[in-house]
Order: sequence, then structure tokens, then C-alpha cells
Amino acid sequence: MLLSRRALTLTGAGLLFAPAIKAQTPAWDRSAYVAAMAASGRPTEISEGAFAAIQARRQPTLARMEAYLKSRFGEADPAVLRSFAELPREYFHYNYEARQAAASNAYETEAKPWAIGFGSALSDYLGQAYMTQACQPKPDHVVLEIGTGSGFQAAWLSRIVAKQYSIEIIEPLGRGVQRIFAPIGLTNVETRVGDGFFGWPEVTGGFDTIIVTCAAQYVPPALLQQLKPGGRLVIPIGQPFRRGQFLYIYTKDEEGRVRSRKDMGVYFIPMTGTMMKTPAPVGSTPQ
Amino acid sequence: MLTLLPLFLIAATAVGVEIALTRFFAVASWSEYGYWVISIAMMGFAVSGVVMVLGRQVFLRHASWLLPGLPLAMLLTGAAGWIATTGNGFNPLELQNPATAWPQLGNIALYYAALFPFFFLAGFAVSLNFVVYSYQIGKVYGYDLLGAGLGAAFALVLMAVLHPFHLVPALLPLLAVATILSAKGVWRVAALGSLLVAEAAIFLLAAPRVNEFKPIYAPLNVPESRVVAERYTPRGVYQLLDNFTERLDTDVSNNAGMLGTPAPPRAFGLYRDGARIAALPMETPQAGHAPAALDAAPYAMLAQPRVLILGAAGGFRVAEVLKLGAAGVTVIEPEPTLREALVQGFGPSPALPRDPRVQISDAHPLRAEGAYDLVDISGDFLGAADANRHTYTVEALAGLLGMLQPGGMISLPIGIRELPVYAVRVLATAHAALLQAGIKEPAAHMAVIRSAWNLRVLMARDPLTPERMEKLLAFAEARSFDISYAPHLSLEGREIWNDLPAISLDSGMVQAGAPSDAVAEEMRMLLAGTMPLDAFDRSPITADRPWLSPLVRLPALPRALERMEILPQQEIGLLVNVAVLAQAIILALLVSALPIFARGALRVPKAILGRALIYFPALGLGFLLIEIAFIEYAVLLLGDRTFGFALVLTVMLVCSGLGAMMVERVTKPAATLTWIALIVVGSCLLAIGLAHSGILSILDWPWALRVAMLVLVLAPISIALGLPFPLGLDRFQQEGPALLPWAWALNGAFSVVATPLANLIGHGIGLSALLLCGSICYLATISVWPRK
Repeated sequence: MLLSRRALTLTGAGLLFAPAIKAQTPAWDRSAYVAAMAASGRPTEISEGAFAAIQARRQPTLARMEAYLKSRFGEADPAVLRSFAELPREYFHYNYEARQAAASNAYETEAKPWAIGFGSALSDYLGQAYMTQACQPKPDHVVLEIGTGSGFQAAWLSRIVAKQYSIEIIEPLGRGVQRIFAPIGLTNVETRVGDGFFGWPEVTGGFDTIIVTCAAQYVPPALLQQLKPGGRLVIPIGQPFRRGQFLYIYTKDEEGRVRSRKDMGVYFIPMTGTMMKTPAPVGSTPQ
Repeated sequence: MLTLLPLFLIAATAVGVEIALTRFFAVASWSEYGYWVISIAMMGFAVSGVVMVLGRQVFLRHASWLLPGLPLAMLLTGAAGWIATTGNGFNPLELQNPATAWPQLGNIALYYAALFPFFFLAGFAVSLNFVVYSYQIGKVYGYDLLGAGLGAAFALVLMAVLHPFHLVPALLPLLAVATILSAKGVWRVAALGSLLVAEAAIFLLAAPRVNEFKPIYAPLNVPESRVVAERYTPRGVYQLLDNFTERLDTDVSNNAGMLGTPAPPRAFGLYRDGARIAALPMETPQAGHAPAALDAAPYAMLAQPRVLILGAAGGFRVAEVLKLGAAGVTVIEPEPTLREALVQGFGPSPALPRDPRVQISDAHPLRAEGAYDLVDISGDFLGAADANRHTYTVEALAGLLGMLQPGGMISLPIGIRELPVYAVRVLATAHAALLQAGIKEPAAHMAVIRSAWNLRVLMARDPLTPERMEKLLAFAEARSFDISYAPHLSLEGREIWNDLPAISLDSGMVQAGAPSDAVAEEMRMLLAGTMPLDAFDRSPITADRPWLSPLVRLPALPRALERMEILPQQEIGLLVNVAVLAQAIILALLVSALPIFARGALRVPKAILGRALIYFPALGLGFLLIEIAFIEYAVLLLGDRTFGFALVLTVMLVCSGLGAMMVERVTKPAATLTWIALIVVGSCLLAIGLAHSGILSILDWPWALRVAMLVLVLAPISIALGLPFPLGLDRFQQEGPALLPWAWALNGAFSVVATPLANLIGHGIGLSALLLCGSICYLATISVWPRK
């Protein structure tokens, strides 16, 4: 594909002068959104009214999420909620194949997955909330994600943990998503395009958490090796648009032996209005 | 007869396009949704009959231009429909999520809109031919069936040379020829001009693409991915991929690193219609990982076994089995492309190296011979070819047990990553097979070992000894696998390495407390004879009902719909089938009720209407119920669904067409009908009693001989099946000519009902039930034949 010199110049200028916008700060307004989108190589426009409508849905979404996490785990991890509140989810609603922003879809009343092109999807926020809490992220954690996708999961965890790594195998998606973290001030996220099978061996200390979308019949041995003793390896299973994805959670003991748990709490993402009617899974609070 | 040649071409194109669309959906998306769309579009046939009833006189008056004009209109609507179909943004995966389903239902409606006009016009053209040439109904029906049958064969031939995305444009020229044969002068110019416009529009506007959520999409789009070999066959589009994601995909222990075994090796990935069916080696297959794999379990109990392996996993399984200490290996690979890869190589993937310990057998899995210590079924065997499911039946497993040496066993794999209930059904099948093989206490002959995602059932010829079970336990413990069942071992209170909770459609609760083993609990209930009768079918798989899925029972369908998000892809076909059936029944009822609204147009006594209302639906149902049962037998005989489907379709339609042409020679229609019904019933009863054993006895014949035998068996009954419809049309139109298009509509509408109904009966009860229902339909036609 040929890029015009003018387009390249503009994109370069956008990167140079992009403000380090932090979500949840007063600076996050329509113009900040438009500037961050441009700086990330995804220029778009949005009206003040449309942007305001999105922001108006943030708090109700957060309330839904808190109720959902309480119903699933017994309690909602404040760090998980805080991190979500700090992130502008509308910034991640983007179809990389169609090159089209879809901010207006953000904070939807009935949580749903959204296609982002190249065979990938932005998962629904309740499912992602479940997975984020199931990862039990801590401030000193180092996390690896295989399958960057929209980048939202990596961004969410990065607000809680010390360092977040992410690998995407689809090149055009990976190249596109690589550019979106810096413009909103997420400086502890490092991404690459490549094979996730070997993990990220340059990180010598290993990982506290690894998230991997795995279609194979086995967990790549390198990932288990790079998992710290006591760490957790989380594998979401099920096609990307299904509401009932579930998780396999692998843990490694001090001797290096691995146990797996099939966590199905995330199956039961309730529809709007019925959230509290579905009982929490027995013993679903992560240990 | 030249005047009916256009009809022949129209019928050929309609069936050809139907098959082409089936292939398009299989490659671009998922076949079950294509089946839904096409089934509904085919209702155009039924609706065309209705329209013909209502405007018969008008259409007759305009037949001179309608006859050449209709194929032209089909050509243009076919091209427009194809362009619209390829541009539809349908994502079937979103249908499984209630929050995203609605826009997709809209896309399905757009598919209907795109495809319905073409099939409506096709049905209308056939119907018009019936009305215009009502004095030679047998010939009209004969040309229609001959065209349909040969159209199916033509589509099959095209599939061998063209990508499925090019089949529709390749079939459309037949319609231009139909117009050229129908009229002269300006019509011929219009036909050529329309063909040019249609093909140009397709070239410029049609954009068929593989759904981005199919398994092939990601590996095809990673950096430096290459398609290193490609092949078009009627069985599917095969693509061999080379990229960094492709590795041998086998279930190795999470402790592989501690065991010191390497990871499974890099490989090429072989995909059929976008689904991965195997890894093919890049060089001589390596198997250093083999001791850490779940598949190695039986080898922990057998010393230097002689092994029969079903499914070679691209040759890797042979290397693994030798690495695990096998003294000799006999390989049966039924999937033709995989077998060719094994023997000759495929693209850059080399053939299996020669080894005196290894023999590649030509035998069918159900006709294997010899004496073995282990029959080892590969982990990807079941998914590699549709016909391989016949090995997972009670009868087949009992047969394999008979080949075992003293102390020998069968190792039978099944996945448990999503629903463990498939494994439960395999356990029930293994249990029943042991009983059928004459073993009184199957519990002493079975063991079950599993990882988090896969399970192997071990079926032993002789009672499993405590020593062997100790070896199995040691194998499992070293690799963090779980033993869900084993005689002599106390599994109470043992550590469960891989938690496996049960999944139920009945409860919204998840029991995710202490680690559990749902398979162990199911096995306990199976042996105690207390299997629950819940949403899932836990019955053994038999030769008469050789399907592992769907396993959601029909009474549980409402619950399955409510909890659709937890169902794996294999179960979606059932839901689609029920949706198609419901819509087909609604249309069939509307067509049946047509006389209430159009009594004036029909002008026949009520009693005759009542008889027609049974006669023609019975034929529509009966023909297809029998045809679909024969297709399933053909799948087993030829080892391939596409060939089985196309051959049965072609033979039955062509022979029925020839039968229909004999109608004019029939002097005593009532007596002829009785004889035909008796022939049909007799043939069906013979098939119920002898088909399976007969097929087994000739499975090793050369392919051409099996095809010839199938044609020989099908021809007589197919000829007989071709007569009742034109006989009925001829007889009923004597009571009122307007009945003719209504009868066509009834036949079409109930044919659409028959396909999903046959699927439900076949999967739910069995092939014998299909044949019995078909026989009853033909007997019903005798009882309602209008006497003078």
C-alpha cells in the first residue's frame, strides 16, 4: 500500500505532538479523544453531542460491572473497577480492517462483543471484567498477554500491574494496535507482532499472569516455563462472539507442577435487568 | 424432444446453483447456515406453484414469451443474487449471542431476498412447462428430473477444477443456452447480451471471501504465511500452509518441560474448507514429545505391541508409535488427501519414510484384518473425514475388539474441552461394544484417562489387571493427567490435576468449588445403570444412528435455545435444522390451505382436494426421506459425503426421470401405483435388513466397483419412485386442470419439509426409521388414489 508523503508527514507530526492524555482527567474531552485517535494513526471525528452521550453512559456501566462482579465473585476488586473507570473504552472501539472508529458503541447497556477486523473482536466488558478479576492482578505483577486484539484487556491490566506485555500474531492488527497505548499515557505496555508460542523469553524474571487465546490441544511449554511459581495462566475458551466463553486457569506450584481449573462463572453473563437473579457460582471467589 | 431441452437446462442450473451455494457457504462460512439459507430459498419452488395456481390462465396466454424469458430472468437474478450473497456481512458466530443476534437475522433476511427470486423463477419455469405441456406430463417431469440429476453431476465435475467461489458464474451460461434453444431472433441476442452483462457484473462486483473467524484466517494472515500447496476437489478445498503458528497439535502434558521432552515439532498445516484437519511434516517426522502425550497412555501398559493405527496424523502418529516402542505398525488412513500425503507426499511435505516395521494398508477401517496388541485411533481421526464417525459405533468397536490379541486393547480418543458429554456418549458406546463382543463385565475391561481437554477410553479384550492399572496410574501421575475410571484403583480422595465440572442446560448454577471430575461421576452412573435422562443424549452410537452429535435431545430444545451460548458449534446444526423445519412447515401449511383462498381458481370437488392434499405431500416427503437414508448409506460405502450425496442425487433423479417418461405407456395407473408402492416398501425393508452388512462386505472393493454396485441397487427403486408423481398429476388434472400447479407447489413445499425432518428422524431415531416413514408415505398414496 502506498502512503502519500503528506499523510506520512501528518501522522508523524501527530505522534510528535500528541499530548500524553490520561483518561479520567479533566483533559479527556472530545478534542482530547480526537487528538489521541489522530496520534494513534486512526483519525476520526465526533460531535460534542455524541461524545457527551458516550460519557453519560460510563457511570451506569461501571455500576453494572460492580454488581456483576459482586454476583460472580462475592466482591468486586476495587482495582479492577478503578482501572476500568480510568480508561476511555470508546478509544478502543475501532475496526482496523474497515479503518472506522465506532466510539458511539461504547458503554452499551447490554454488554456485547464488537468486531474490530482481521478476525478479532473487542470482548464484552462484563466478560473482560470477569477475566481481569480472575487474573488477580497486583501492583507488582508482570503480565503477558498472547493475542493483543483491541488492546483493551492489556490496557485494563496495565493500570493495575507494574508491567504489561502483549503479543499479536496478525500483523496489520498488531501494527495498528501497537500505536494506541502511548497517546493515552499507557507507558508500561509493551507490544510486539509475532509468534506467541515462545512467550517473551527476554523477560527473565517470568510472569505472574499469562493470558493466552489457545486453539491448540496443549499449552505451549514455553509459556508454562515463563510462568512464575504461584502464577496463573488464563485461557479463555469459546468462539469470540459467544456470551458464554469460559476460562481455563492453570497454576504452577513451587515444584513446577501444573494444575488446571475450568472456571465457568463467566458463562453466566446475565441480560440487562436479570443481573442479580443469577446466583454466584459456588466457591467462585478466586483463591 | 427439443422443446423440453430448455427445461432440462433450467433444472440442471437450479440444482447446480444449489450445490454451488452449499459449497460457497461451507468454504466462506459454516455449512449449517448455508443449509438454512438455501432451504428457505428453495421454497421459491413451492411459492411458484402457488402463483401459477392463481394466474394459470394468464400465464398460459403469455407462455410464448415467458418460456424463453424465464431463463433469461433467472440468469440476471442469479447473477444479482450471487453478487448480493457474496457482499452479505453475515457473521454466524454472532447468532449465538442474544445481544448480537438481531442484525444477523437481518443478514439472513437479505440472503433470502438475494436468493429467493432465482429459485422462484426456476420453480415457475418448471411449473409453466407442466401447464403448457400438460398433455405429456411424464416427459415434462422426466426432463425436469434428468436435468436436475445431470446438473448435480455437472456441479460435481466443476468442483474438481474450479474454486467453489467460481461455481455459480460457471453454471449461469446454461441459462443463456436455454433461452437460445427456446426462441430465435432477438431472444438469442438478448441471451448473449444478458450473459455478457451478468458475467461482467459478477467479475466486477462479486466479492466472495472466507469469514475472518474461520480457523484458517489467522494462520493465513500472520507475517510471512504462505500457501505452499492447494487442491480443489468435490470433497473440499485443500490448502497447505506454512507459517509460524503451524505445529503438530497433540495433547502433551503440562509437565513436558520437567519430563525433558521437546515441544511438538513445527509442521505444515493442512486445511480443508478453512478448517484444520492435520499437520503435515516438513521433513522426516520427529516424535521426541511422544512420551509426554496423553496418546501414549496405552503404551505404558504394553511391551513392544503390534499396533493398528487409524488415522496417521499426517505421518506423525507413525513416528510417535515407533518412538513409544511399537514392534510393528499397520496404518489405515481413510482420508484420501491425507493418505496421498502419506504415500506420495503433498506439496513440499515429504512422504512417510520407508520402514520395514511400517505397513500402509488399503483396508477400510471397518474391514481391517490382522491381529494386534493395540488398536490406536489418532486424536484427529474423527475430525479428518465425515465418514470416520462410522468407526465410533457399537458395531465397529465390537469388530475391532475381535481383532485383538490376548491382552490387547483399543485406545479411543475424544475431546472434552467444551462439553464433556460427548465423551460420556463415547463411554456408553464403548460399554455397549464390550457387551456386544460377548464380555459380561465391561467394567473390568475399561479405563479412562484424561487431561484438561482430551480423554482416552481404553477398552481391553481381557480384564485389566492390577499391575497394568498401577502402570497407568504412574503414567498419569508423572504427567498430571487424571484417571477418571480404572478397575482395581481406589480413586476416592485422589488429587484431581485437571478440574472438570459438569455442564448442565437445566441449571444456571455453576458448581466451581472443590475440583471435580464430571467424567468419573458419569462413568459411575453408566456402570450402575443410572444414567440421567436430562437434556443430553447419552445413548450409544450405533450403525443405524452413526452420529456423535447433536446430542441435545429434542424435548430439551427450548432449554437449549435459552442457553445457546454454552453450546458448541456441533450442536448449532440441530438448532438451524429445527428453525428450517418450523419455517418449512409454516409454508407447507399455507400452500396446503391455498384452496380455501383460491377455491374459484381450482374448481374441483372437496373430496378430490382432500386426496390431493395427502397424495402429493406424501410423495414430496416419501421420496426425500428414502433418498436421504440412501445418501447416508452411500456416505459409508464411498467414504465421502460429497460423492455419496452427488451420486445418490444424480442416480435417483436421472432414473426417476426415466421412470417418469414411462408414464405414457401405463394403461392401469391404479394397479401400477400399487405395484410401485409394494416395490418401494420391499426395497426399504430389504435396505433395513441388509444394507449395513451388505455395505460392510464390499467396502474393500475398488471405488469404481462400489459406485457401480450403488448405481445397480439404486436404479430399480429410483425408476419406480419416478412414476407416482406424474401418474398422480395426470390423474388429478382430469378432475381439474388447475390442480396441476397446486400439486407441484404441494410437492415442492413438502420436499422442503422433508429435508430437515429427515435429519431429525435420522439423528434422533435412526436410518431404519427414515426408510419406514418413507414406506408409509408411499403406502398412503395407494389409499388416496381417486377411483373412477
